[in-house]
Amino acid sequence: MTARKEDKLVSLQQAAALVRDGDTIAMQGMGTQMSPLALVRELIRAGKRDLQVAMVVGGIGLDWMIAAGCVRKVMAIIINLDEFGMANNFRRAAEAQKLEVEEYTEHQILTRLGAGAMGLPFGVSRSGLGSDVIGLHPDTTKVIECPFTGKPVIACRALEPDVAILHAHRADRFGNVQFFPKPIWTDVDVFPRAAKKVIVTVEEIVENEEIRRTPIHTGIPYFKVDALVHAPYGAHPCSLFPKYNFDRAVFQRYADESRTPEGTRAFLDEFVYGLKTHDQYLAKLGGTAALKRLESWD
Amino acid sequence: MGTAKEYTIDELMVVTLAKAFTSDDIILNGTVSFIPVSAVLLARATHAPGLTWVAGAVGVDAQPGSVIGNTLDPTMWKGCVMYLPQYEDMWSYVHRGTLETFCIRGAQIDQYGNINNSIIGSDYHKPKVRLPGSAGMGDMGSLDKRVFIWSTTHNPRTFVKKVDFRACVGWLDGGGSRAKLGLRNGPQLVITDLCVMDFEPTSKRMRLVSVHRGITPKQVQEQTAFELVMPASVPETPAPDAEYLRLLREVVDPKAMRKIEFRGSATKV
Ligand SMILES: CC(C)(COP(=O)(O)OP(=O)(O)OC[C@H]1O[C@@H](n2cnc3c(N)ncnc32)[C@H](O)[C@@H]1OP(=O)(O)O)[C@@H](O)C(=O)NCCC(=O)NCCS
Repeated sequence: MTARKEDKLVSLQQAAALVRDGDTIAMQGMGTQMSPLALVRELIRAGKRDLQVAMVVGGIGLDWMIAAGCVRKVMAIIINLDEFGMANNFRRAAEAQKLEVEEYTEHQILTRLGAGAMGLPFGVSRSGLGSDVIGLHPDTTKVIECPFTGKPVIACRALEPDVAILHAHRADRFGNVQFFPKPIWTDVDVFPRAAKKVIVTVEEIVENEEIRRTPIHTGIPYFKVDALVHAPYGAHPCSLFPKYNFDRAVFQRYADESRTPEGTRAFLDEFVYGLKTHDQYLAKLGGTAALKRLESWD
Repeated sequence: MGTAKEYTIDELMVVTLAKAFTSDDIILNGTVSFIPVSAVLLARATHAPGLTWVAGAVGVDAQPGSVIGNTLDPTMWKGCVMYLPQYEDMWSYVHRGTLETFCIRGAQIDQYGNINNSIIGSDYHKPKVRLPGSAGMGDMGSLDKRVFIWSTTHNPRTFVKKVDFRACVGWLDGGGSRAKLGLRNGPQLVITDLCVMDFEPTSKRMRLVSVHRGITPKQVQEQTAFELVMPASVPETPAPDAEYLRLLREVVDPKAMRKIEFRGSATKV
């Protein structure tokens, strides 16, 4: 697939097919915020295997993928469900040594991706100096001497993920992707620039003229986008500020049920495997009209 | 201002931390940080009106009114003057020391204020307990922050002689070891469900400052797996001022979100 100025709009299934087993994927997300979860559900249904997932903050979507057996390795700084507590499947898989965990500080993993984005062999950081995090992965982070001051700095090896997956507010069919209030998040910024392929799901498809009227909101230009999917509420149960809040009830249910593998399986059967499409998912939640209840921010 | 007679430990922890902040502080917060965020809002509403808070590291000088969402949530950015772009702006201000104050909690905290929230066990790759991960503490420990540590689980499992994994750099091995690595600032204060502690200036060992009402220094030592620097006399942690308590209960955190942090605590709130 090329990233020319042409129609990039595809189905979720077609988008998922661009992710191959064994790929390194950079996945947008936070504990409860902004994550391409409609696509994650599709990747799980498609039975992806051996993925190496790079994130800053891993949350519910990553925990599902780990539970579903999609993930061989995670590269992240923290994986939790924020106020809802531990990501239980991540915890179980790591404790059972079924998951490789490559832990970084935030600035280290961003520096790796930043170097990847610029085509440099490595970038430098001071973050984590003196900590045990550095010694975890000598083939990607190493303390070196600054050639000018002689002081210790950390060389962070370039990371170029095979594919970045993101959820955004809107785009035109060419893949000019817009964020509101504006693109401020690290993973919206450096993930797509570092990745070889970029897949974006969006709440809304708008005309090219609308993008041209509001270019200040554009965070990813069309030439960097390979596939685009229209998925309203595609971050659910995470939030997409300022459009909708996270779904407290679903989070609490998952936090409770994921305490056991059986509970997790039942949750995934109901919310992922038992539904064939994103439309069915929305229908299960009562349709987009019912989801308006998530538009309150108080 | 009168002091309150009736208060709970969560309230005492928030007020005590708030009192440690001043109008000169520029503070950013991370994940599951209800106690520090409540303290920031309380300090700003009382003795430290000039305090700057960057909500969830995004919302500059945010004014959400009260704690209305989790501490990384965009709800908390309400009324801010700027959404701080993360990759360039936030990390520049963090590296250069403009954003200088950060609060950290962890599953293990040692006598020099090094913190671990990654794994329990002797082999990182074969963890007895896999914890969430180092997150912002991995960065902030090495990036010259004035670190305030809080914990709702003051027990020998949390307060250990040596952390199993040093995710966050505190005073390293004590003495001048942190400065030798070229790192400025470091851990300042430790506020737990039992007491307040700081670090003895020369050795950098943790030192008892005050005990909460009904707790003795001996009890604190029993709940700590390393030897605390113990002053000859240890006062009681001052009770919260009535007005601080009213603001906390009615304005800052009326939903008492801070109590979420007592999930694993032996102290009932
Ligand atoms: C510290 C923290 C992990 C506690 O999590 P919690 O879910 O509120 O509390 P819990 O006490 O229930 O701990 C979770 C699990 O870890 C285990 N655990 C915690 N500390 C442990 C320790 N020292 N040794 C062994 N196990 C430990 C608990 O037993 C529990 O597991 P269980 O349910 O199987 O018993 C969490 O609050 C956190 O990540 N805080 C970091 C906040 C921070 O510093 N933010 C700013 C930097 S980004």
